[in-house]
Amino acid sequence: MKLFAQYNRLNILATISIFVVGSCTFYILLRYILVKEMDNSLRSEQQEITQYVYEHHALPEINNTREQRNIYFKNTNKKEGFATLNYDGEDDAYREITFNLTVGGNPYVVVVSKPMDGIELLQHFILLVTIAMIGLILLTALLINRRILNGLWRPFYQTVSQIKSYNLSTPDIIELPATDIAEFTLLNNSLNVMMGKVQHDYEALKKFTGHAAHEMQTPLAIIRTRLDILMQRETVLQEYGQDIADIEQAVQRLSRLNHSLLLLTKVENKQFALNEDVRIDEVINDKCIEFAEILQERDIILSVSVTPFSVRFHRQLAEILIGNLLNNAMRYNFVGGSIDIQLAGGVMSIANTSLLPALQHERVFQRFYRHNDSIVEGNGLGLSIVKQICDFASFTAAYTHTDRTHIFNINFNTPPIVL
Amino acid sequence: MKLLIIEDEPALRKGMADYLSSQQYLCEVAGDYDTALEKIDLYSYDCIVLDLMLPGGNGLDLLKTLKRANKLDGVIIISARNELEDKIAGLQLGADDYLTKPFHLSELSVRISAIIRRRSLQGSNTLVFEELTLDTIAKTVSVHDAPVLLTRKEYELLMYFIVNKNRVVSKNAIAGHLWGDDMDVADNYDFIYAHIKNLRKKLVQAGAGDYLQSIYGMGYKLTAK
Repeated sequence: MKLFAQYNRLNILATISIFVVGSCTFYILLRYILVKEMDNSLRSEQQEITQYVYEHHALPEINNTREQRNIYFKNTNKKEGFATLNYDGEDDAYREITFNLTVGGNPYVVVVSKPMDGIELLQHFILLVTIAMIGLILLTALLINRRILNGLWRPFYQTVSQIKSYNLSTPDIIELPATDIAEFTLLNNSLNVMMGKVQHDYEALKKFTGHAAHEMQTPLAIIRTRLDILMQRETVLQEYGQDIADIEQAVQRLSRLNHSLLLLTKVENKQFALNEDVRIDEVINDKCIEFAEILQERDIILSVSVTPFSVRFHRQLAEILIGNLLNNAMRYNFVGGSIDIQLAGGVMSIANTSLLPALQHERVFQRFYRHNDSIVEGNGLGLSIVKQICDFASFTAAYTHTDRTHIFNINFNTPPIVL
Repeated sequence: MKLLIIEDEPALRKGMADYLSSQQYLCEVAGDYDTALEKIDLYSYDCIVLDLMLPGGNGLDLLKTLKRANKLDGVIIISARNELEDKIAGLQLGADDYLTKPFHLSELSVRISAIIRRRSLQGSNTLVFEELTLDTIAKTVSVHDAPVLLTRKEYELLMYFIVNKNRVVSKNAIAGHLWGDDMDVADNYDFIYAHIKNLRKKLVQAGAGDYLQSIYGMGYKLTAK
């Protein structure tokens, strides 16, 4: 429910309740005053009759009109006082006074009654006004509501739609305008400040990535360069050959790890534009040719069955994605094993034989996850890069294991974007 | 052959200069933007090794200056930033190649030699080592003028060794050159050995000497006997 509808509902309920309570109170008060007035007039009738009896020693002649009715009957000591009652067959209520009189030594009971027309009218009138007022309140609320939703809240909806279309990785910055309404201006200003800060932090992060690369790559470059120089010295090699080989290997791993981490950060920061149509089947074939010698060397049988498929993607990312999967399929394979690559209907599956048991499904794409039994070590980032690229391009990656075969499926069909 | 090495990191600059000097290149160095600009203005080089982030300015500006002056120096950019945009910008401005740090000196040397070959007006498209002759355009090898049939990878391997002759070339550098730096399967299996073995066999069968030697399990070296 919209905020204003919620507010409106409460407001109308409260207004109507107050109005009803007010009307009732008003009615009760008025009625009380009017009855009092009527009682006074009845009391003066009583005095007139008493006066008449005192002077004439007889009751006045009964002359009943619509305005007043007198009834006398002989009786003793009926309870005196006022009462309101309805006579049979008549709609209107009457107010009557009953009192005892002694006329010529005989006890009489006198009842004087007057119709309560005015009060009834008042009642109807108040009811009518109340209903009319409630109707008016509802109508006003409806009109205000329409005006507010169409006009007053417009800046709010504009802000919301602008925020929805806000994308951190695109360089255009949203500037939300000031409005006539203080609250919305406050909201827009706060959002502007927030987006500015986020944008700033994001830029800083991107710069940090670049700087981190520079800061780490340069020392690595120095180490590698000096090693290359050291390697040329016969005497050094004779004495420290194995040490240099170990250092060389470590530098190799470190620079590759650094490279992978930077790539992962770049994909995470969406620093690639998905604006190329990439033929997945061609990338697969290229990669297979690239790895042909290694596969041959290890007696791994490769079977490839692909149908042409093109998707909006990034060529370099496609190569990394498929390269990493193929790399894994080879690395954890055994001599004489097999790799089976299929691409049909935009779904690629890469299946490889391996001595490793099934990997943990929930952890297989995690950074630095390795199966405990794995002897050959990658840097533990290959599959998380695959996953990250898939997430970025809205593809899905899945892993299954059957009968000593590990299967990775990539679905290149982008699901429709749900707004 | 004259080279200019523009790099602000002294250790890296010295390493490159040492390695390349030992390969009969005449190396000059510049550690900042202004020195580099001065040298570029005054002299011409066969190839310039250009770092992008320099004290005092951006390497890309040096490249622009160079092209504006219609200088024919070859340029290889070496950068710590493996950003596609940098690479594209550099190549569009007229750089010949782009190498990301950290690189192997042997790789740098091969790239420089390719640039110089490509740019040389004499059209020296041949690399000669003893009785071996490489035609770098046709990508063919002959021993005593008789052609030897090599696979593409074997040819690349041989060229790598000849350019870096008398230097120890690590197995990682070879794997990086032949399969790219992202290929890490090469680490785990000594399958480079198989390639070397095949290459050696083919050359010896064709009548060439056995010039390749294994160095302490870390790499190989091509030396004339």
